[in-house]
Amino acid sequence: MIWRKSLGICFLGFLILSAGCVPISKTTLSPGSPEDLPRCYAIFPTEPWESVHKIEATFRRGGSFSLLGVTKGEPSERRFESLLLTPEGFILFDAEFRDGEMAVRKAVAPFDSPAFAGGLMEDVSLLFLPPRVRPAGWEKKTDGMMICTWEGPEDSDTEIKGSMESGWRILRRDKYREVIKEVLLKGPFVNGLASHVELRTSEPASYTLRMTLVQQSP
Amino acid sequence: MKKFFFLSVLVTTCLLSGTPAPAQDWTSVKEAYRNIRSVKADFFQKRFLQILTKPLVSEGKLFFNTPDSLRWEYLSPLRNVMLQKGNTIQVYNLIEGKWKPEITQAVEARRMVLAEISQWFQGRFNESKTFKQDYSPGPPARITMVPGEGINKFIQRIEIVLSKRPGVIDRVEIEEPGGSRTLIEFRNVEINSSFSPEVFEKP
Repeated sequence: MIWRKSLGICFLGFLILSAGCVPISKTTLSPGSPEDLPRCYAIFPTEPWESVHKIEATFRRGGSFSLLGVTKGEPSERRFESLLLTPEGFILFDAEFRDGEMAVRKAVAPFDSPAFAGGLMEDVSLLFLPPRVRPAGWEKKTDGMMICTWEGPEDSDTEIKGSMESGWRILRRDKYREVIKEVLLKGPFVNGLASHVELRTSEPASYTLRMTLVQQSP
Repeated sequence: MKKFFFLSVLVTTCLLSGTPAPAQDWTSVKEAYRNIRSVKADFFQKRFLQILTKPLVSEGKLFFNTPDSLRWEYLSPLRNVMLQKGNTIQVYNLIEGKWKPEITQAVEARRMVLAEISQWFQGRFNESKTFKQDYSPGPPARITMVPGEGINKFIQRIEIVLSKRPGVIDRVEIEEPGGSRTLIEFRNVEINSSFSPEVFEKP
């Protein structure tokens, strides 16, 4: 019985990993119309925000947890604070990210490794902060769908695709053009924040986060 | 460890809702507390964090049977349940529609803390090595609990405000160092009602 369960978990993990590693062809774009450029930033908050998400995490190696995630951000300073809380409201992780630098104020096991902190900050950045640089290319399709690409460090790149009506997808690829993080954003969008987010990542750890917006302000 | 002390505080304060009218002295309160066989209640929790403008609101249900069966369940925004029956403690999260055991649980730590709670359940407050209690007849009547060395890094003070209605508390406030606090209101409290023992066994 235990073996069957373990095998099931491994199989599930394999599926998640496989899904995360499927190479998705890179879209090659050139700079598009200047009036379409702001739409590349439609999914990122432009004003200070506070949000609370219900987070369900599933790991490829087995195991899962359910926690509350609190994020408060100031986009103009590329700064945010991020907390993970138990259902009782206890803080398991508390860190501040400011212009590329991270300061962990509190971390309780098993959330106390530097790798976890780095991964979490990277995920939150991907969800809430646009890449620093201007998009390398963008295009508005006739059906209203928007595609934007950003070149990243070490030959990585980020692509967003979608619309407020149909939802959005963020892809981050490594230098081998393999997708290492994929985010699906689904509406309704509340003050620019998606009600439902699914983040799948394959490197350095493989896991899936399903996030539901519980409250936000302003 | 801190998490479970917090939980123990929540449970204990709810059980105190079975205490008699606030006008009674502290000894009478503790004495009446010993008559409790079971508790069922809804709870509404507001978590005030310094970084959030609005409090984080949760709600759930509590079941308790003496001497050591407990179900503490959050219904929203997260679905999470802690089950204790004797020395067995299980914690589950509802993930993708299925109850899954929590991977972060520290069973040994929970056992230690729940042993502490069991003392409180039986009215043995003075035996607690964790909290010192101070009863004030009010009005409103209140019990102030101050933790000793170690726990005071996590919890600064607990205030239990009793209702005018005998046997019911209005609210509990838990203060933490740094300014964060938690407010819990108990509603629909039923003392010594009967319910299925399965509530302590299955999520």
